[in-house]
Amino acid sequence: MIKCSCEERFSDSVILRRRSRRRISAGILRPLRGLRMTPLLLFLLPAWVFAGSITGTIKFTGTPPEPEQISMDADPICASLHVEPVYAETVVVNDNGTLRNVFVYVKSGLEERTFSVPGEPAGIDQKGCHYEPHVLGIQTGQELEIRNSDATLHNVHSLAQNSKPFNLGMPIQGMKLKKKFENSEIMAKFKCDVHPWMNAYIGVLDHPHFSVSGSDGAFEISDLPAGDYVVEAWHEKYGTQEQTVTVTEAEPVVVEFMFQAT
Amino acid sequence: MPQSPDQLYSVHKTTIWFAVASIALVVTLVLIVFQDHNREWKTWQEEFVELERKKLKENLQAMHSKVDEKRLEDLRKELASAQEEFDRNKSEFEKLEADKTGLNVDLVKASARYEDLKQHYDSYKFFLEEHREQGEDEKAAQFERKFKGVESKLKDAKFKKEQIERKIEEIDARIFSFQSVKRRIEKEMNEFRRDEERLERKLKELEPSLIKDMINAPMVDFVAPTLEIQQVVLEDLHEDFHFAKAQRVDRCTTCHLAVDRAGFEDAPQPFRTHPRLDLFLSADSPHPLEKIGCTVCHGGSGQSLSFTWAAHTPQNKEQRKAWERKYDWHELEKWEAKMLPLQHIEASCAKCHGGVVNIPEAPKLNQGRALAQKYGCFGCHLVKGFENRWRVGPDLRNVRSKLDREWIVRWLQNPKAFRPSTQMPQAFHLENTNSEGDRRRSNAAIEGIATYLLKHSNTVSLESPPIPGSPEAGKKFVEETGCLGCHTMGDTSVNDHGPELVYLGSKVQDNWLYSWLKNPKHYSPETRMPNLRLTDEEAAHMTAYLLEDRNEQFDASVIPQVAADDLDGLAMGFLTRKMRQAEAQDQLRQMELEEKFEFVGEKMILQQGCFGCHTIRGFEEAKQIGTELTKEGQKEVERLDFGFVDIDRTRYDWFRQKLKNPRIFDRGKIKDYHEKLRMPHFGFTDEEAEALTTFLLSLRVEEIPLEMRKQLDLREQEIEAGRLLVSKLNCQGCHTLDGVDGRVRSLFSATLRGGSATSFGGEDVGKEPPVLDGEGAKVEEVWLYHFLRDPETIRPWLKYRMPTFDFTEEETNSLVKYFAYLDEQEISFLREKVKTKAATVAAGRELFTQFKCIQCHQGGETQTITASFLAPDLAMAKDRLKPAWVIEWLKDPQVLQTGTMMPTFFPDATTPLPAILGGNAEQQIKAIRDYLWTYRPEEVTEVKGGSS
Repeated sequence: MIKCSCEERFSDSVILRRRSRRRISAGILRPLRGLRMTPLLLFLLPAWVFAGSITGTIKFTGTPPEPEQISMDADPICASLHVEPVYAETVVVNDNGTLRNVFVYVKSGLEERTFSVPGEPAGIDQKGCHYEPHVLGIQTGQELEIRNSDATLHNVHSLAQNSKPFNLGMPIQGMKLKKKFENSEIMAKFKCDVHPWMNAYIGVLDHPHFSVSGSDGAFEISDLPAGDYVVEAWHEKYGTQEQTVTVTEAEPVVVEFMFQAT
Repeated sequence: MPQSPDQLYSVHKTTIWFAVASIALVVTLVLIVFQDHNREWKTWQEEFVELERKKLKENLQAMHSKVDEKRLEDLRKELASAQEEFDRNKSEFEKLEADKTGLNVDLVKASARYEDLKQHYDSYKFFLEEHREQGEDEKAAQFERKFKGVESKLKDAKFKKEQIERKIEEIDARIFSFQSVKRRIEKEMNEFRRDEERLERKLKELEPSLIKDMINAPMVDFVAPTLEIQQVVLEDLHEDFHFAKAQRVDRCTTCHLAVDRAGFEDAPQPFRTHPRLDLFLSADSPHPLEKIGCTVCHGGSGQSLSFTWAAHTPQNKEQRKAWERKYDWHELEKWEAKMLPLQHIEASCAKCHGGVVNIPEAPKLNQGRALAQKYGCFGCHLVKGFENRWRVGPDLRNVRSKLDREWIVRWLQNPKAFRPSTQMPQAFHLENTNSEGDRRRSNAAIEGIATYLLKHSNTVSLESPPIPGSPEAGKKFVEETGCLGCHTMGDTSVNDHGPELVYLGSKVQDNWLYSWLKNPKHYSPETRMPNLRLTDEEAAHMTAYLLEDRNEQFDASVIPQVAADDLDGLAMGFLTRKMRQAEAQDQLRQMELEEKFEFVGEKMILQQGCFGCHTIRGFEEAKQIGTELTKEGQKEVERLDFGFVDIDRTRYDWFRQKLKNPRIFDRGKIKDYHEKLRMPHFGFTDEEAEALTTFLLSLRVEEIPLEMRKQLDLREQEIEAGRLLVSKLNCQGCHTLDGVDGRVRSLFSATLRGGSATSFGGEDVGKEPPVLDGEGAKVEEVWLYHFLRDPETIRPWLKYRMPTFDFTEEETNSLVKYFAYLDEQEISFLREKVKTKAATVAAGRELFTQFKCIQCHQGGETQTITASFLAPDLAMAKDRLKPAWVIEWLKDPQVLQTGTMMPTFFPDATTPLPAILGGNAEQQIKAIRDYLWTYRPEEVTEVKGGSS
């Protein structure tokens, strides 16, 4: 699981940092595997290493659809925030042929367990008249800090079906509001009625075992106890796929999902 | 014993006969008692006891497994440790107990001594007083001494006794404190088991026992049997036994023992729980068992105690067979009030729920009523309570301007051949008029009707489209301006209020359609089709599009030739009803061919009752031709003509058969053409026939006391009047209103609701026709009144249009009342005043600017952003909205209208602007409202300038 603090999410180079972080953690783990977990190292490592994890990438085949350019002319403030053309984030294929913004999560296998709600809030920002991130995971009961970094009026209209829907007006630059989801849902949609191109998807789960594929198409679900799980990958346009995975504590299970252009 | 000669009879034989007779009598008596004792319901009650015991055991087990074993275990441990503690101090406790015993002995002694002295004391006192009174001083002095002597002793005895009592109390307190912990734990453990014990007790009560067998035994079972008849006496309801009225008594619960108890939902009948305890039977439901009983709704004989005699009615043939096998059931031929089969049970709702358009929770009956209205049943059949309904067919008074003779003839031959979805029933060439001769007569009649209609028609001026329309553009307008709010077209069938928009090219000319679209009331003043205020261009395009569609097969169908003989024969048939053969022939000879057609046409219209649905010149005063149906649901079965049709002799079977094939009862009968059954064929599906049958069964006139009926107060009556109008004009075809989701809205929000996107705008809620739930609380009555009369544009981005209905004064007022009363408003045609202060207004303006309200609420002229997220021009607010509503709306729009695009700016009553009005959300909301009441259209530019 990629955990990053809200400040990071709100920062300009969020994608960059996220990527580097994953690289680093992968770098630490690789020599560990080589050493076959010597008793000494076992002693030194924190307990979570014993838990299993699922890692992998979201592959994409076929010709990706032509990115859809967004015209922000309707709101001059939005338009003035972008020099380069802006494209819709519905389908983002990375340079390495992987698919971004895929929500990967443990669909079943955790029913018997209960999880504490994280104290720190998840975050989503309205910045440059789009949502950052575009796809986000959150636990039920966990706070979601919604921020407006733009000097224009946004409204966050949650179309959640399982939780109480809300529609918040956010007219002031820099203002933050906090909301929670009561029940799990794949996926709760956010939209901005003022700027109809703006939307985001929130995966609400009652456990923390989820991940979103980033700019390298990779995902990682960690801290999983050994067992059989059904893992599902959800994409806004290409729907869902699921796989059954057996997690052991020995080493991470590698799972690949393949989405195809339609 | 030998027979003595003086005896005329043999004692021996007599004795034998006497013995035989006695035995026979005893046997008979036993049989009588047995038969009287052995009742069907007792078997059921015994079975129920078994079932209840089974359930109780299950519950007990469930409860047992649910008990918090851990807590119980903890308690047991605590108890053990308390016991241990107690045991440790046992010697002390025992010593206390021993002390207490000793003291008790002392107390008895002391008490006895005290009582003894008290007696002496009282006695001396008596004698002292007595002697003093009688002046015997000596004796008095003697008793006074004794009295004084005993007085001090008594005081000492009392003191001693009280001392011992106190000591005992002290010891008691110490003993109690020794035991208190133990007692508390025991009490808690008991509570744990309390529910279980209650069930166990109940289980025990239900256990079979010899005593129960004895008290239920014959001859003694009048005292206090455990098996007994259960009954509800309904004080307010009566049963009419011809000339005698008796209180209604329902004994159904004798066997249906758990019908009003939850928990038997899966039990076999007759023990099953009623499926809707929230609505029926339970004490807090609207129909409690004690007040309503069973038979008022279900019918049947409430006093009877056997399955057959209670007049149970099977739902279908399978059930009938099963019952015959299982319960030896047979139909009670002579009993009128049989139970309603379950599929028609809703028919009973109408007994008490009169005067409403729809009865809550009675979907099938409501469907039946709606179908009866839709297919024009009330056109031919008088049904009291439904006189205020409208004609369902088009007005034919100007038909010459719309249709030609060929089309009318083809249409009457078989309306469904032109448009399969039409509501127009087929009147000719049906089962009983299908012989060669009848077909020829019908052809003459059809030609006659066409002749009559065209001759007795005026013409209206028609305009041709000013430009040649483009079908592509027309399609867009048809889909976007609102036609689908009433009409079905292509695959889109969310509404079927108006006729399906197909094959119009085969039916009408462009000038008629164009003029009709521009103003429907010009051709037909009584049409329900409203005016969409189309521009000439829009109407021309739509005309072009709609006329493209033709029904080639229909156009090519051959029009049958009418032979002169057939026409004459038909005409003679009508003439000879009123005059002699010779006179009729004379009259016929005098008629021209056209006249003959006109004559048979007129007579045929009269015979078929076409004017029930269509307005036709010359039939303005004609009487409805069908049977009155006001009491059809209680019509004697004997009065229904089953003919030679082999169906069950029940009302509902007859109704269903009649609805499915109205002419079938002529089968096997010899009748003249004129005498035959004439109800036309509607082509009802089985489901529709069932709903209509339910409706027909609901048509009863019964004596239910007024206070037992659902009574509508004045407001509810106004709401119902509005509801009728709303259904007549199909407001819910577009608007979400009164619990019904606007039917076209599903076309807009398909993606939002999980379907696929359509060409109508994807998930964008903002393009849907507005939701009118809460409209009465939202808008001023005076504004609504004017809006209904002459709609103004509120949401210029909407392509769907609120049409002009040309409401009458009465209709407009009815709708205004309907909206207001639905939201529990008081009607006032004066706008509510808002007193504004300059400071508040200034704060409101600041908030308005900061919240960027103008970004969505733009004035008509200044719209720059794309259409999907616009909101009404707020310059209208003060004329249109109620001030109190604006406050509630601003607090949280989602509360008033789920899913609205209007966001809340004050989540959880907080404001993002703490600097204005002390950060008080409530005051800020009020300030915005006040500002809106001073808001001028010109401010749009000013505020906009201020915000960027």
